[in-house]
Amino acid sequence: MLSSIFEPHSIAVVGASNNETKWGGRIFKNILNDFKGDVYPVNAREKIVQGRTAYPSISEIPDNVEMAVIAVPSSFVLHVVEECGKKGVKGLVVVSAGFRETGKDGAELEDKLVSIVRKYGMRMIGPNTLGIVNEPAGLNASVIGKLPGQGSISFITQSGTLGLAIAEWTIDIGIGLSKVISTGNKAETDDVDLIEYLDNDPSTGVIAMYIEGIKRGRKFIDAARSCKKPMIAIKTGRSERGSRAVFSHTGSIAGSDEIFTAAFRQAGIIRVDTIDELFDAALSFSCQPLPEGNNVAIISNGGGASILATDACEKHGINIVNLEETTRERIKNVLPDFASGSNPVDTAGTVSYEIYSEVVQALLNDTGIDAVIVIYVHAAIVDSIPPARAVVDIKEKSTKPVITCWMGGAGTENGVDILKKGCMPNYSIPERAVKALAALIKHREFLDTVKIKNTESAGMGASK
Amino acid sequence: MTVLTENETKKLLAGYGIPVTRGNIATNADEALDIALSIGFPVAMKISSPDITHKTDVGGVLLDVGQDDIRTKYDELVSNIRASVPEARIEGVLVQQMAQQGREVIIGLKKDAQFGHALMFGLGGIFVEVYRDVSFRIVPIDRNDGLRMISEIKGYPILKGIRGRKPADINAIADVLVSVSEMAGKEKITELDINPLIVGERGAIAVDARAILE
Repeated sequence: MLSSIFEPHSIAVVGASNNETKWGGRIFKNILNDFKGDVYPVNAREKIVQGRTAYPSISEIPDNVEMAVIAVPSSFVLHVVEECGKKGVKGLVVVSAGFRETGKDGAELEDKLVSIVRKYGMRMIGPNTLGIVNEPAGLNASVIGKLPGQGSISFITQSGTLGLAIAEWTIDIGIGLSKVISTGNKAETDDVDLIEYLDNDPSTGVIAMYIEGIKRGRKFIDAARSCKKPMIAIKTGRSERGSRAVFSHTGSIAGSDEIFTAAFRQAGIIRVDTIDELFDAALSFSCQPLPEGNNVAIISNGGGASILATDACEKHGINIVNLEETTRERIKNVLPDFASGSNPVDTAGTVSYEIYSEVVQALLNDTGIDAVIVIYVHAAIVDSIPPARAVVDIKEKSTKPVITCWMGGAGTENGVDILKKGCMPNYSIPERAVKALAALIKHREFLDTVKIKNTESAGMGASK
Repeated sequence: MTVLTENETKKLLAGYGIPVTRGNIATNADEALDIALSIGFPVAMKISSPDITHKTDVGGVLLDVGQDDIRTKYDELVSNIRASVPEARIEGVLVQQMAQQGREVIIGLKKDAQFGHALMFGLGGIFVEVYRDVSFRIVPIDRNDGLRMISEIKGYPILKGIRGRKPADINAIADVLVSVSEMAGKEKITELDINPLIVGERGAIAVDARAILE
């Protein structure tokens, strides 16, 4: 069970050392920092590792060990894993490198490793992984410097170094994460297993993936298709001409990248091009409901920003629709006479809790509106805090998504802070806000087509 | 790996209900006339050889051949090929029904190591070669998927009919896409190309096709 890896009661780190510049030492330290269960260092030479009694081998640990992190040279790994199996360890995170990624001999070693893991019915992440993080369990069995903040985004990364750098970056900019999984060589546990696990994980709301290649293509599509949670992925290699295959007769090209795009689309995975987009979308999924459709209203205290947002909406197939009469009346009542009461709503520079609260509420009540983009453009004479409070207060009661864009430098931080704490997806420019909203809409449309398919096959009596 | 000739590929397609131009292989000028009489004139004549994929490039296709000169055209075609591709094995000449007027589209199928078969759809000619205006799906697909594949390409308005032209039979294309998807599951196909499938206001017909089996 993968839960033995992500939610273990006890952990041994084989290769734990006092040297924190080594992986074994660093990961051991990271686990000790936040993990509440039992943690045992295994080191053949040291008696004490980072203040804990060390054991020369895993078999000499007196208590049960549910999960083991292995960070020893590859030539020792098979022996250590065999010992883990005998000890009754259930889950492994094999950090050691020197397997399939190095060539033919490494591949053979990896095959042997997998057969030992299977023989004892264990589960394994790696080898060649930089570890895993499970924030709700206080578990940082990785080389990441610190535990992320709370959040429902789970991030699966195939690239160790880049992926973990990304994870560190998200932690720094305050995006909460539930899990970070560096898959390594995917020898025993691959994307399919992880998607299925995360689908049933209550603390995961959205799955973000960094993918270089996939092992079981069809299974991957099936797993993603039946996954109840939104999935967003970066698949590298769009420009890799060498990976292109040719339809020989016609000379037309079916690149493996185009096939990936098709597969992702059919699986309902939202494919993005940049790391910004990956987490922009993930953030919105993690804290907003899905819209029912693609009719959107915009409110801004500056005309320029709402024009940018409107243009971006058009580019992404999002409709900026006319407001209902009652909505317009309500908005006119709170806005200055010279302000615009039509969509996009321009407050003509005025900003207050009451204005933002009243307008956003009116827009959300409009039956023709599926989502609202709230823009605040900072100027020296206005305060970024009241409109942020207004949005957070309303969001608690709203069943429609609200996306925010607080623009400007110094002076906006306090407002942005309120939005972050209130779990609002806030973006620094309108285009990013619109793209994130477009991802929510795309996912809604995918769910709708699946629903149509299910009803169709049910109607045909084929859904047995 | 087996490379099927046009005639063999079309038989395979016809077995899945995909309309193909009627025709047969003639091994001499008399047979060519007989086949043409059974189809009706004018006919298309195409060299049939396992060694020639791009028939037009080597002078292996003659169109709109009438009853008066079909015998001389047979000999002309064979000697053309003997001159341009001396090493090619010649099985004969495919004598074939001329297709109706219509818009040319391409349907391709390719086995991908990761995902299984990928199905491709696009408009023929420069649209696929220059603009890469194509859409893809992993099979199997249903009819709605097929319709979506067609409407996804940028050139879709050309099929719907622009400047007063009547729309092409989009449902007929979707039918072919679904049939090819079904074939992918049952035949050991590495690659298949229907190029072109000519789509009229009613119906679509595969005019040329090639397949590679495992």
